[in-house]
Amino acid sequence: MPDRAGEASLEKLTPFDRRFTDFSGVFSYIGSGWIGGKAQGLAFIKDSLLNRMNGQDFPDFTVRIPTMTVMATDVFDAFMKQNDLYEIAYSNESSNEQIAHAFQRGNLPPDIVGDLRALAVSIHAPLAIRSSSLFEDALREPFAGVYGTKMIPNNQFDVDSRFRVLVEAIKFVYASTFFREAKTYIMTTGQSVEKEKMAVIIQEVVGLRFGDKFYPQISGVARSYNYYATGHGKPTDGVIDLALGLGKTIVDGGKSWSYCPSYPRTAPPYKSTSDMLKQTQTEFWAVNMGKPPAYDPIKETEYMATGDLAEAETDGVLQFIASTYQPENDRLMTGIFGQGPRVLTFAPILSLGDIPLNNLLKSLLKLCEEVVGHEVEVEFAVALDPENGVPARFGFLQVRPMFVSRSKVEVPVDDLEAEDVLIASEKVLGNGLINTVRDVVFLKVTDFNERASWQIASDLEAINHRLVAEGHPYLLIVYGRLGTTDPPFGIPVSWWQISGAKVIVEASLPDMHVELSQGSHFFHNVISSQVGYFSVSHSGRFPIKWDWFLSQQTVTETDFVRHVKLATPLRVQIDGKSARGVIRS
Amino acid sequence: MSDKAFNPFAMAQQQFDKAADFLNLDSGTRELLREPMREFAFLIPVRMDDGKVKVFRGFRVQHNDSRGPCKGGIRFHPQETVDTVRALAMWMTWKCSVVDIPLGGGKGGVICDPHNLSEREQEQICRGWIRQMVRNVGPFTDVPAPDVMTSGQHMLWMLDEYEKIRGERYPGMITGKPVGMGGSLGRTEATGYGVVYTVREALREMGIKPENTTASFQGFGNVSQYALLLYQQIGGKPICVSCWDQKDQVSYTFRKKEGIDVKVLMGITDRFGGIDKGKAKDLGYEILPGEAWIEQDVDILFPCAIEHQITDANVGKIGKNVKIIAEGANGPTTPEADKVIQQRGIFVVPDFLANAGGVTCSYFEQVQCNMNYYWEKDEVLGKLDVKMTSAFLAVSELARQRKLYMRDAAYIISVSRVAQACKDRGWV
Repeated sequence: MPDRAGEASLEKLTPFDRRFTDFSGVFSYIGSGWIGGKAQGLAFIKDSLLNRMNGQDFPDFTVRIPTMTVMATDVFDAFMKQNDLYEIAYSNESSNEQIAHAFQRGNLPPDIVGDLRALAVSIHAPLAIRSSSLFEDALREPFAGVYGTKMIPNNQFDVDSRFRVLVEAIKFVYASTFFREAKTYIMTTGQSVEKEKMAVIIQEVVGLRFGDKFYPQISGVARSYNYYATGHGKPTDGVIDLALGLGKTIVDGGKSWSYCPSYPRTAPPYKSTSDMLKQTQTEFWAVNMGKPPAYDPIKETEYMATGDLAEAETDGVLQFIASTYQPENDRLMTGIFGQGPRVLTFAPILSLGDIPLNNLLKSLLKLCEEVVGHEVEVEFAVALDPENGVPARFGFLQVRPMFVSRSKVEVPVDDLEAEDVLIASEKVLGNGLINTVRDVVFLKVTDFNERASWQIASDLEAINHRLVAEGHPYLLIVYGRLGTTDPPFGIPVSWWQISGAKVIVEASLPDMHVELSQGSHFFHNVISSQVGYFSVSHSGRFPIKWDWFLSQQTVTETDFVRHVKLATPLRVQIDGKSARGVIRS
Repeated sequence: MSDKAFNPFAMAQQQFDKAADFLNLDSGTRELLREPMREFAFLIPVRMDDGKVKVFRGFRVQHNDSRGPCKGGIRFHPQETVDTVRALAMWMTWKCSVVDIPLGGGKGGVICDPHNLSEREQEQICRGWIRQMVRNVGPFTDVPAPDVMTSGQHMLWMLDEYEKIRGERYPGMITGKPVGMGGSLGRTEATGYGVVYTVREALREMGIKPENTTASFQGFGNVSQYALLLYQQIGGKPICVSCWDQKDQVSYTFRKKEGIDVKVLMGITDRFGGIDKGKAKDLGYEILPGEAWIEQDVDILFPCAIEHQITDANVGKIGKNVKIIAEGANGPTTPEADKVIQQRGIFVVPDFLANAGGVTCSYFEQVQCNMNYYWEKDEVLGKLDVKMTSAFLAVSELARQRKLYMRDAAYIISVSRVAQACKDRGWV
């Protein structure tokens, strides 16, 4: 795949033709120009991978890329130009809401609205309106999760309503190109917002309708390389995260079930069963097919709804993915029995193996690696047969290369306790030497609550913005999990809010169960941006030398965050092979 | 009304006869559709600004309303003829039918020259026209619209007079109103865009990419300007455009082989649509005689000015590479010239199909007015594109299946629908 994957031709796609009476399986484009990184990745995979899949190996699954149409970047250019949107889009004074409203007021180019209307006439299934920008998903320039995606039910009775909602969603994705977070992030990567162009993917959502909700029973992210292998798993075994409902749960860093595909029966390293109950998924995302919500075209989740496990059980979807907790003996039973709490362990599939999803995923990861020529990250969704689990539909939603550094840096065990070492860890991500960091941003407090977490996120964003503008990479030290959607467990930042950090240290606290930042996009961005990542346990052998950091010159300080400037750069050594790393004064 | 050698109504009847023969229509249906069902001619006395009273001649022709209320513009022109209006009314019937909207055909006008009339005088003509026609126009009878030398302002005066007499609001009584006063977004662009929607589909069927084409445009009024803009947007390269020069009373062709800049030209255009020759020359345009637009070595010709422009006198000058003629104007090609074009195998998008975007959007305006709920521009243009494309595909498919000339195929579809409606109503 080319580095600027979005700048590829349209050859692999079919021009959209409204004369088609059946759009299923069609992979088409509207307009001309480029189709963006995400769409290009899928087009590439469609031809290269799916043809090589042997259907006989997995007769229970229909594997395919959901039907999609891409609006190429020239449509975006024409939209921007004809509505005079560049000024408000590029302005740093414009809020996200102002930009979104201005984009909603614009009109789509007249040469493509007929095609969109034809699409609205022909398709009645829920649609995902996804970004596919030039910068997106290009190797070493990760833009995963930076831009907007909008899910729409597309089930309104009249075509006018379906068309209107589709158009609003497209304009929302266009507007998200210029939201504050996107602009900051583009700046961080050294790119220019003026060079960014947005293609839009209009794609069928994989799932089933359950009452007023539409969702896949399983969504997931599979990576062929695991930077944080645990137990018997090796990094090259990869790692898979599974969740109930739409993939938003995983993408946003919510709770999911993370396991090694070589050892599918091995549960993640929870401290206890009760800990597992707390840490596993209890809510899921779905497309809202019911009563239209309050009209709010600039809200990404306008047509989305959340459900809980009780609803999922009523929908009959837990039988393949849940276990039941038996408090009398503090054990989990595979499947749903009796009245005990349900736990999303995916054990009926992973442990019993009746539905060969894990084998399919292993096979796909291997094929994807061969085709892409890199370690890969794959997003997918699975719609199981409601009664028997199979036949199932496997929707291949995205593939992107992972950046794995090959440079050789050795950090011997003895170095971890060296005198000049300020921070040491045996759980690091990344690889290489970093000698450019003279700024350190760290949290002053250890007492987390939701309110403080949001304030901390905001403080970090402000400092990040300044340091990015000045071109100063920095070391960020936080407590808890970054990018979490559960503020009590960490800092609910998005990647763009800390995008200038060159090294990140996540430190645990006694009452806090901290694992790797699980959000798939967050994780992908950490790795692809070659950010050094250290996990430091409060009870470990190598405590952070806080006195040294506190004695440095303070540049700014809020109630929760301090920014200090160092006289000389830190020396950061990360040994990706041994997962050991040190930060030296 | 002056008599001219070229009679557009005779031409319209000739075209109808051909379709009627093909469809083997019975004599009653032929007789009914060859002539307008109703014609109104009346006088409009107006007290002029100098205190004198001047009497203007007004008229309205309703060709056929079997498929729905009549629809058609009102023209203010000093050389207007009743036969021109009859032809235009008939073409409106076919136009509404070919895009399958539930309207019939009408046309009207007043013999006057607005260039020599004050605003107040024009308003009095509009109000006088309505006072004469109030019993025979309306949202469910006959819905007028702007046409040659009439605008949204004229429509508003007419609407106001109609509502005053009726004592109620009837926003759907007339179309082409300004946006915010019952007008529809997208109406201004609709005719020009519609022409290009059909050209886009024609190119697709011929396997030609728009970006590999060049075009020449006749006229620089509303239709031509928006056709130019959209043609450029889909990737085409317009290299010349002709327009009428009010001062010199002749037309000129403005050519730039590397591609004309429509927006720049629109910025140096007078209120009659004439491009400033001096400024155009400074911008690097060649100024050629008005007829030169037809002789260009291009792929597509867009006659978007007035009727009777491609004749047996100039049809031989059409460039050898021309593959498509898209008739943005009404009746730009005479039957004699049409034969030559057909023999040469040039693909023609006939006028009443190519320029049906205007009436289609007028229909949308009427629909919006009648429900008093107005759509976003995306929605209007999306619907317009679908209507135009569907109509084009139906015509081209028939032409392909029956090996027909496009104009004939369009007539056959239109006439058969109207004939069927007359039959279903028990008229014939």
